Amino acid sequence: MSVNILVVDDAKFMRVSIKNMLEKADYKVIAEAENGREALKKYKSEEPDLVTMDITMPEKDGLEATRDILNYDSEASIIMVSAMGQQKIVIEAIEAGAQDFVVKPFDEKRVLEAAKNVLS
Amino acid sequence: MDEEYLQMFFDEAEEYIRDLNDDILILEENPENTEVINAIFRAAHSLKGMAATMGFDELTDLTHKLENVLDLIREEKIYLDAEMIDALFEGIDLINELVEDIKRTGRETTEVEGFLVSLDEKIAAHNKGDTDDVFLGGNASLEGKEEWDLQLTEKNLKEIKSHGGEEDSVLEIRVMLKKETVLKSVRAYMILKKAEELGYLIKSLPDREGIENDEVEVRQEILLVLITGLNHEEIKEELGSIIDVNSVEINPLNIDYSRLETSITGEEQDSSDKNSSIDVSPTVRVDIEKLDNLMNMVGELLINKTQLEDLDIDNSSFQNTIQQLDRVTTELHYTVMQIRMVPISGIFSRFPRLVRDLCRDLDKEIDLNIEGEDTELDRSIIDELADPLVHLIRNAVDHGIEKPDKREEKGKSRTGIVEIRAYQKGSEIMIEIEDDGRGLDGEKIARKAVEKGLAAQEEIENMESEEKLQYIFEPGFSTSENTSQVSGRGVGMDVVKKVVESLDGQVNIESRIDEGTLISISLPLTLAITQALLVKIARETFAIPLDDISETLTVSPEEIKTIRGQEVIVPRDETIPITSAAHQLNIDVDNDRYMERGEIPVVTVSSGSSEIGLIIDEFLTQQEIVVKSMGEYLGSVENISGATIIGDGDVALILDVRKIA
Repeated sequence: MSVNILVVDDAKFMRVSIKNMLEKADYKVIAEAENGREALKKYKSEEPDLVTMDITMPEKDGLEATRDILNYDSEASIIMVSAMGQQKIVIEAIEAGAQDFVVKPFDEKRVLEAAKNVLS
Repeated sequence: MDEEYLQMFFDEAEEYIRDLNDDILILEENPENTEVINAIFRAAHSLKGMAATMGFDELTDLTHKLENVLDLIREEKIYLDAEMIDALFEGIDLINELVEDIKRTGRETTEVEGFLVSLDEKIAAHNKGDTDDVFLGGNASLEGKEEWDLQLTEKNLKEIKSHGGEEDSVLEIRVMLKKETVLKSVRAYMILKKAEELGYLIKSLPDREGIENDEVEVRQEILLVLITGLNHEEIKEELGSIIDVNSVEINPLNIDYSRLETSITGEEQDSSDKNSSIDVSPTVRVDIEKLDNLMNMVGELLINKTQLEDLDIDNSSFQNTIQQLDRVTTELHYTVMQIRMVPISGIFSRFPRLVRDLCRDLDKEIDLNIEGEDTELDRSIIDELADPLVHLIRNAVDHGIEKPDKREEKGKSRTGIVEIRAYQKGSEIMIEIEDDGRGLDGEKIARKAVEKGLAAQEEIENMESEEKLQYIFEPGFSTSENTSQVSGRGVGMDVVKKVVESLDGQVNIESRIDEGTLISISLPLTLAITQALLVKIARETFAIPLDDISETLTVSPEEIKTIRGQEVIVPRDETIPITSAAHQLNIDVDNDRYMERGEIPVVTVSSGSSEIGLIIDEFLTQQEIVVKSMGEYLGSVENISGATIIGDGDVALILDVRKIA
């Protein structure tokens, strides 16, 4: 069975590149969200196996969205997509229950490694 | 690459570079200051992390090497002498060049390999000799094998005892992260979190609190003291599953419980650790463009307020509201102005390094005194001012201060003095650069001005010496007979003057031969909003900035005298030339009609030391105006510095007094 993924990022460029990386490795990106609010909505409707969550987004940021999703489903698998200098937020997200993180700009290998790690 | 991150990278990198320069200067004075070595190390380290994430390889290698050198200095494995300090400075210059490269071209074009090789040689030459581990090929042992001090305190020991720590269940675990790990602190946090799932975590280096509060430097190595029933293999597997973990080393910990009775030092150490946390006042970074927008909106608001005030409505509650609005807008304006202000130390902090380097190159001895670096100026002014000030300092050091022997011959101390001062004077900020060097020769300057066709011989004959000095601000003028490398970097005094004037400021020079030179720059506190007097000239409304006005008066035609073809007035024994404002503005009205009037309104304005009386039609009122530029299409209009919208919605032009006076 294929793994279904929800990609959350406000930048289309980032969504597309993450999607490409994941789909090359036979993961299936079933939905995308542009902000934290949308992320929760899509999580509920699509029930993905894994979420990649950008941190800095308008309306609702990735940290809040992570908390929302884990509140709704404590088993949710979430990888934070962070930038340099956001370690405090990433730590908070992991404290809240996110499983792993990747740092922008990332290469394919690291994204897949994180995905594999979280899903195992 | 994401523009936003790139900008963030530039901002931060520049901050680090400035800090590095400052700190190494401090280090040069106090080579024993470990705090400052640590600060330098941290800055280099942070830069390295940033560069690595952004994929700037040269910068990563360079900062990495510097970080290693600093570590060696910190560990006292190499000597820290002038040569080493120079090498550090050189490294920072290279960092700066690389950052500039990236800014300009998006790529790293500066070569660092040569520097890295020479640095290796220097490290070898400065080895204190007890070990050969100063050689750090690539990523080397220092970060790796270094023993961290994970001393257990009495409290820890009690904890272990109470958790039934048998000898073989208390483990010391050494987790190594991969060299390329980014956000090490998050990884460290994940390792700690995992360790807590595996057993009871007595202590860790770094500790959880430090990581959460972002107070510790997380290195490649993380040490844990864990009480657990799991066997070594299980622990290795669990911790090893975390991404970026390179290796896990586990050893049983020998515990000497006897310390429980005797030792108290542990507790003390613990509390002193706590005190080392740093208070940082909460700040936010704001895009300067947003502040510009805010300032513009405040400007619009002020215009609206003025328009409301002009609505001649006789209603007390309306008047009250207007008064309140007036207070609020004034306060708002003031606050926005404050937000835009940054201390001039941002520029001044470069000067110690600059002067130090120049002294080395030129074999001079100079004491640099800086005063008033806390003085605040509008951000946009600060940005523009950096290059001109650097040029003035270069001049002072290069052309002003003489070589030590020469100074001795003149009976001066061998060490020259350069002083930089900033202070507020009324609504202006003054910046002064003074040296006690050879001074400028007005005669020589005047002769040169004539030679270069900048002045006519007759012109200079009756000139005061001070006036002659002003020629150095003329484009195409250079005083130095042989321009040395130091000062000949494109910016001339004419550019200094141009920049300062574009900021609505003035630059002035005073000098005495063999005594020294003083250059003073005066700048407005802020550019956008100012108090002005509105006047009528040729039936049009004009604004004259209040700061430029020295007096307003009404004279009768009899009081106007003519001296050598120039009309003057003589209020209080002082002769002031007067001229028709309309004439100055090239407005073609029947010119001399003012002589037919019984009372002639005059505004005397001053710029620097010159003063002139402008004959106008009528005084109107005084009000706050929002200065707008004339826009690209109109460009610069003679004797007009900008425009403003006045109460009734009309546009009034603002007189450029500097040009007129």
